[in-house]
Amino acid sequence: MGTAAIQTYGLTRRFGEMTAVENVTLRVTQGQFFGFLGPNGAGKSTTIKMLTGLLEPSAGTIEILGRPFSAAALDLKREIGVVPEGMALLGRLTASEYLRFVGRMYGLDRETVTRRTEELLEFMQLANERRKMVTDFSHGMQKKLALAAAVIHGPKVLFLDEPFEGVDAVAAGMLKTMLQGMIQRGATIFLTTHVLEIVERLCSHVAIIHQGRLVANGSIEDLRAGVASSLPGTETSQRLTLEEIFLSIVGANGGEPVQELSWLT
Amino acid sequence: MADLVAAPDQRPLPTGAGLFNRLARKQYVALALMRSNAFANSFRTGSGAFEFGARAISFFVYSVIGIGLGIGAGAAAYSLVSNHELHLLAIEFWVLFLLWQAISIVLASFLEQFDLGSLLRFPINFGSFFLLHLVFGFLDVSTLAGSLSCAGVLIGISLARPDLFGTTLAALIGFAAFNIFLVRAIFAWLDRWLAKRRSREIVSAVFLVSMLSLQLLNPVLRDETWHERDHPHRRSAAAQKMTGDAESLLGKAAAWQSWLPPGLANAVLESADQHDTPLEAGALGLLCIYTLGAAGLLGIRLRAVYRGESLGEAPSTGQDAKREQPWLIVGHGPIVAEIEKELITLFRSMTQIYAICVPPIMVVIIASLFRSGAPFARHVFHLALPVCVAYGLLGFTQLIYNSLGAEGRAIQMVFLFPLPVRTILLAKNLFHGALYLLAALLAGLFTTLRLGRPDPDVVAITAAWLLFALPANLAAGNVLSIVMPYRINLGRIGRQSGSQANALLSMLIQTTILGAGASVMSFCTFWGRIWLAVPIFLAMAIVAVLGWVVVLSKADALAYSRRDLLLEKLARVE
Repeated sequence: MGTAAIQTYGLTRRFGEMTAVENVTLRVTQGQFFGFLGPNGAGKSTTIKMLTGLLEPSAGTIEILGRPFSAAALDLKREIGVVPEGMALLGRLTASEYLRFVGRMYGLDRETVTRRTEELLEFMQLANERRKMVTDFSHGMQKKLALAAAVIHGPKVLFLDEPFEGVDAVAAGMLKTMLQGMIQRGATIFLTTHVLEIVERLCSHVAIIHQGRLVANGSIEDLRAGVASSLPGTETSQRLTLEEIFLSIVGANGGEPVQELSWLT
Repeated sequence: MADLVAAPDQRPLPTGAGLFNRLARKQYVALALMRSNAFANSFRTGSGAFEFGARAISFFVYSVIGIGLGIGAGAAAYSLVSNHELHLLAIEFWVLFLLWQAISIVLASFLEQFDLGSLLRFPINFGSFFLLHLVFGFLDVSTLAGSLSCAGVLIGISLARPDLFGTTLAALIGFAAFNIFLVRAIFAWLDRWLAKRRSREIVSAVFLVSMLSLQLLNPVLRDETWHERDHPHRRSAAAQKMTGDAESLLGKAAAWQSWLPPGLANAVLESADQHDTPLEAGALGLLCIYTLGAAGLLGIRLRAVYRGESLGEAPSTGQDAKREQPWLIVGHGPIVAEIEKELITLFRSMTQIYAICVPPIMVVIIASLFRSGAPFARHVFHLALPVCVAYGLLGFTQLIYNSLGAEGRAIQMVFLFPLPVRTILLAKNLFHGALYLLAALLAGLFTTLRLGRPDPDVVAITAAWLLFALPANLAAGNVLSIVMPYRINLGRIGRQSGSQANALLSMLIQTTILGAGASVMSFCTFWGRIWLAVPIFLAMAIVAVLGWVVVLSKADALAYSRRDLLLEKLARVE
C-alpha cells in the first residue's frame, strides 16, 4: 500500500440536527485517480469542502500528504488545487488577469505566472477569449478556467467538484488527457461527478457516499465483484457497468417501484 | 403524486396577453407565496432575524424622514397657494423630481432584490413581466419619500384651496407615475450600457468630463467674484452683476422648464387656478405623454430582456484578442496581486467609481454653502476644510465596511489560498487607504480652489484627524466585512440589495468617528486653542492604529469562525 495522499478518520459534519456526513474514514493513495460518488445530497460536496478547508468538520481528522490538515495549514494549501462548487471565479477580471491573480496568490514569480498563464489559456482553448471578462464566459468556459486556476501552481493533490459539468466533448477529452498526465507524474486526484462513464474510464478507485455515510470503498474491480456476488442470478463473469454497481449499492432499484407519471406526454 | 397523476386531461391555462388573466393571476399568487416563504425562511437564522430588524429600523427611519419631507413639502405648497404664488410651485416640483432620482441611486432598497430574468423560463406574458418589474422593489426609499412628499403637497394645496383637490390629485398621480417609470428606465438603461465594455468606457468618459466641467466652472466664478471678497465696494457691483445674470438665466430656464414634467405638473395647477380648462387639459395630457414616454423607454429595455437578450461581450477574435495584457503593478506576491485585482475591479465598476467620486465633487457644492452670506456659514468658515474632507470620504462606506462583498463566489479562494486571511485584508486596506487619502486630497484641493488657501493649523488638524479616521474606519470595516458581509453586484448601479444591518452599523460608526472629530474641534475652539486638536487627534490616531493592528491579527480567527456565514452570504447560488 502506497503513501496516503488523503486520509480521513471519522469525518463528520452536522448542520444543526442534520448530519450531512457521518463518520467517513477513507484513504486515497498518492498517484491515485479517486472517484467520490453519491446521489444528490449524499454529502459529496460537504466532504470535499471539509477536505479543502472550506468547511470545518464537526468531528474527525484529515491528513493530506501525511500531515494533519486544517484550514490554517497554509503550507499544505500550497500542495493542493481545488475546483470548488460554484467555481469561485472573479467575474470582473479577464481570463488572463484571473490566472495571473491566482498564480501570484500561490506565491509564483512573475515569469512563471506569465508562462503558465499562456500555456494554460492555449491548452484550454481560451487564448482567443483572454480579454473577455469572466462574467461573459459560457458555463463550460468558466469550468475550463476554474480548472486552469486549480492547476496553475502545480498541485500534488487536486480536488475536483463536478469539473466536467457543462464542458463540451472535445474539451472534456482534452481535460481527461491533462488529468491522466498529472496522475502519471505522481499527482493525486479526488474527483466527484455524476458522469459515471468518466469515473469508470479515469478512476482506479471509487468510494460511494449515501445519506452521509460511506457505503462502498475500493477499486472498481473489487466493487464489481462484490456487487456481482450479492446479486441473485448474476454470474461473476458478467461485467457490470459502474452505473449498475452504483445503482445497486445506493439501492435505487431496491425500493418501491417508481410511480409512472401518466400525465407526461 | 396522486394529485399529479389524477388529471391527465387537465387543460393548461391559456397564455394570453392580459395583465390579469387567470394564468397571470395564478403566477402573481405563486410569486407572492414564494416571496413570503423566502421571508419566513429568513428567520431561521439569527443573522436573518437581525437583518429583518435592521430593515425594519431603516424603514421606520426613512418613513420618518419621508413624513418630514411630506410635511415640509405640504407646508411649502400650502404657503405658496395661500399667497397666490402658484407659479413658484414649479421649484418644489423640480426639487421633488431631483430628489426622487438622486435618492434611488444613493440608497439601497428595503427589499431583497430579485432577478426577474429567472422568471423567463415560465409562460409569463410581457405585460406581467413589465408589471412585476414595477412591483418588485417598489417600496424603495425614493418611491417612499417621493410618494409621501406628493401626499404632503396634495394635502397642503387642498387645505389652502379645496377646489383644486381633484386637479392636484390628477397632476400628482401623473407626476409620481412619471418619476417611478423614469427611475426604473434610467437604471435599466444604465445596466444595459454598463454591461458592454465600449459603452461602459463612453459612460465613464462622460462622467469624467462632467466632473472636470464642474471644476472648470470654479475658476470662472472665482475670477468674477472671489477676489472681490475683501473689497466691499467692488463686491457689491459684482454681486449686482451676478444677480442680474442669474435672473436672466432663471427667466430662460423658467420658459424651458414649463415644457418638462415638473413644470407641467405646476402648469396643470396654475391653469386650473386661472380656470383655463384647455390649457389645464393640455398640460395634463402632455404630462401623461411624458409618463407614457418614460414607460415606453422602460418597456423597450424590458422587451429586450424579455426576449432573452444577452449583454455579454461578443467573442473577441484576431490578434488583438491574443495580445497579452500588461501588468498594472510590477512585483509579485499576494499583496501586490490582491491590490492589482482590486484596481482592475475598480476600473470596471462604475458603481464603485461613482460612489467614490461623487462626494468629492459634491464638495464643490458644499463649499459654496460656506461662501454664501449666511451667518452660520461665516461662523464656521475656517473649519470648512475638515467638514468638506470628511464629507468627501462618505463614498468609502461600502468599500471599507463590506470589503469582501465584491468577491462573490471567489470568497472561497480566500480560504483556499495558502495565505492568512489577514494578508488579503491588509492588501485591501492598503488599497482602500490609498484611495481614501487620494479622495481626501481631492476634496481638500476642491475646497481650497473654491474657498482659498486654508489656515495652516486647520490643514494640520484635518491631516491629524485623517490619521485617526482612516485606521479607525479600516479596523471597524474589517470586522463588519467579516461579520456582516453582503454580496455586491458590481455590474449594477443603484438598487443593490445591501445589508441594512451592515448599513446601520457602519453609519453609526462613521457618525461616531465624525462626532469624535467634531467634539475635539469644538472643545479646542471653545478654549481658544484650536492647535490643541492636532496632538489630541494624533493620540487618537495611535489608538486607532493599534486597534487596526489588533483586528488584523485576529482576522483569521474571526474569519474562520464565521466561514460558513461568509460562504453562505457571498458564494450562495442565487
